[in-house]
Amino acid sequence: MFGQNVEIRTINLSSARERNEVDVFLQKQNLILEKDVEYTLAMYEEERIVGTGSISGNVLKCIAIDPEYQGGGFSNKIISLLLNEQYYRGNTHLFIFTKPKNKKLFLDLGFYEITTIDDYVTLLENDPRGIKNFTEELSLQKHDGKVISSIVMNCNPFTLGHRHLIETASKNSDVVHIFVVWEDRSVFPNEVRYKLIKEGVKHLDNVFVHRGKDYIISNSTFPSYFLKEKNAIVKIHTMLDVKIFGEFIAPALGINRRYVGEEKSDPVTNEYNLTMKELLKDYDIEVVEIPRIKNSEAAISASRVRELLRTDDFLSLKQLVPQTTFEFLISDEAKTIIGKIKNDKK
Amino acid sequence: MVKLRRTMMYVTGNNPANIMEAHLYGSDSIMFDLEDSVSLKEKDSARFLVYNALKTMDYGNVETVVRINGLDTPFGKDDLEAMVRAQPDIIRLPKTETKQDIIDVDNMIGEIEKQIGLEVGTTKIMAAVESPLGVMNAYEIATASKRLVAIAIGAEDFVTNMKTTRSPEGIELLAARSNLLMAARAAGIYALDTVYTNIKDDDGFMDEVKLIKQLGFDGKSVIHPRQIGMVHKIYTPTEKEIRNAVRVVEAIKEAESKGSGVIALDGKMIDGPVVDRAYRVLELAKASGVYKEEEQND
Amino acid sequence: MEIKKVGVAGTVESSDINIVIEPSDKKGIEIELQSTVMKQFGRQVKNLIEETLRSEGVESAVVRATDKGAIDFVIKARALTALYRAAEINEYTWEA
Repeated sequence: MFGQNVEIRTINLSSARERNEVDVFLQKQNLILEKDVEYTLAMYEEERIVGTGSISGNVLKCIAIDPEYQGGGFSNKIISLLLNEQYYRGNTHLFIFTKPKNKKLFLDLGFYEITTIDDYVTLLENDPRGIKNFTEELSLQKHDGKVISSIVMNCNPFTLGHRHLIETASKNSDVVHIFVVWEDRSVFPNEVRYKLIKEGVKHLDNVFVHRGKDYIISNSTFPSYFLKEKNAIVKIHTMLDVKIFGEFIAPALGINRRYVGEEKSDPVTNEYNLTMKELLKDYDIEVVEIPRIKNSEAAISASRVRELLRTDDFLSLKQLVPQTTFEFLISDEAKTIIGKIKNDKK
Repeated sequence: MVKLRRTMMYVTGNNPANIMEAHLYGSDSIMFDLEDSVSLKEKDSARFLVYNALKTMDYGNVETVVRINGLDTPFGKDDLEAMVRAQPDIIRLPKTETKQDIIDVDNMIGEIEKQIGLEVGTTKIMAAVESPLGVMNAYEIATASKRLVAIAIGAEDFVTNMKTTRSPEGIELLAARSNLLMAARAAGIYALDTVYTNIKDDDGFMDEVKLIKQLGFDGKSVIHPRQIGMVHKIYTPTEKEIRNAVRVVEAIKEAESKGSGVIALDGKMIDGPVVDRAYRVLELAKASGVYKEEEQND
Repeated sequence: MEIKKVGVAGTVESSDINIVIEPSDKKGIEIELQSTVMKQFGRQVKNLIEETLRSEGVESAVVRATDKGAIDFVIKARALTALYRAAEINEYTWEA
């Protein structure tokens, strides 16, 4: 690739000016520089951006090349640099969300398709056996039964509400598989959330807790950048999430029912639940919504727990969480987490 | 035969496409870079790549040079271990400042040559001078080792050290270029000029090449194939120069055939530098395709 | 040579090959290749990677490679780089 006067620079993401430059360029390609990017590089020709790409967690995103510069090996160059950066960070299992019409580009660069939702989105990963290995390993934990249920939860942190949901599922099923959303975007780290759930359901011998790594997609992973409307994002995200669940995860464990917490007050989650109900029919999976339990006046929720932590109201808190969670919250280990919650401007 | 080093094209040591095709653009030398153009995280991969390229590729008549990392970095010694064994035509040392830098490398190469059963001294080196201290020590550097075939000036670091920047006229480099050239000529080795980084500015590039040719440099480092032809064109001798050189060479032959120790042309004695220049002009002319050997016999 | 962690080398630029080497609990070298020249040279590329690893004493590994038309010396160089990174070894025995 002799013959280029282009220069590739790492963007200083704490500089509003540099971020804005990239954002303006992306907007011309109907994309935006998403808030959660951790590393961004841009290709410049004489102080003008002609291409860019970013990293967030184990996802490559916000990738675009000026149409005039397409086909010159520039996208390969950008992807190569992003891949290398990921490897240095120790992330070797990588994902890309892209428009189906662009998937060919990534299929040529070592990515493999997991699934596609119509014309909206394709999810790719860089390991040809990725999802296959995941489901094979999962199937080792299969337990026989007539009603095999599943719950996907974040539990930030684990409350009596969560426990009630699991207990209800446990009572009405032969087997319950819990998937803990693994993406670390919650103030309680994934291993802590996992541990608190596990300890909180010890008394239920038909409940199995799994780390929901990589293929349990949370809202935040999903790139909003190429979808303009917020509602459409939720819908398509749900479709993708549900398709992966129905196609790969449910068969591995024989899952035929999914429990969700009722969420009438939150339109986004409500929309998610409705869409899921509809779509999982195709996979013969029944969706059961469980109303939230209340403590005196308000529903028990993790966000209320965090609110009480902010004001050090441990007395009220004790009424909302299982003993195991409470013990954790008053331990030394929880101090930094609570500190973070207090520092977060609401 | 006089070896021409009009152009030395820089090739990033970690780019397979460039490493495979660099010799096809007609430069006299190609320089595989393990140093500044390779990021710290890729030093190992560039070393493996250049090593395997040199072991495998046939670069024909194009002189191969490898710029290693300085011995004061964590990479220099490994680079040297690999490259002495891969045997490019020349190993280039960056950021040379004292004669001791050269002596150290000379000794280390000697050790490796012994280990692999190579005659000590086989491996040739070239030193890049990129700092005021290096320029001040240029003659000592140029005479520090028999392995040295050339010294080169690297301007980017130099101008920064000099608290200035590069200008189109190059006034800030005049003293350094001149000093380096004198050192090279006094030591009897080649002198090579620095890169011109704006590959789009042909006029500026050609002005600089004319300047350094006039100063007396043997050639220039280039970073893009399009710069090669421009340098070669400027280094092409004029018809008058060629005719003159042919006459000098004929005079030498005549003297040889007569068994005479004195070479004379037009009644004047011709001495060493003039003879050298004549051969050099003819090599340049041949390389530029404006002169063929058989014309001599017409 | 023991593979301790995931080692990666090379790029997906033209004439290059990206090679990922991972530890494996199974015996043997398993190679997944994606190549622009799959039909003509797929077998050859895999053989060369395997040969390079075996010559360094590797007996078990999982390899993923994305080939963008790399020629032999490039494949060999990238395989060695990925391997030495995976084995966390810095000393290579260069041969004259």
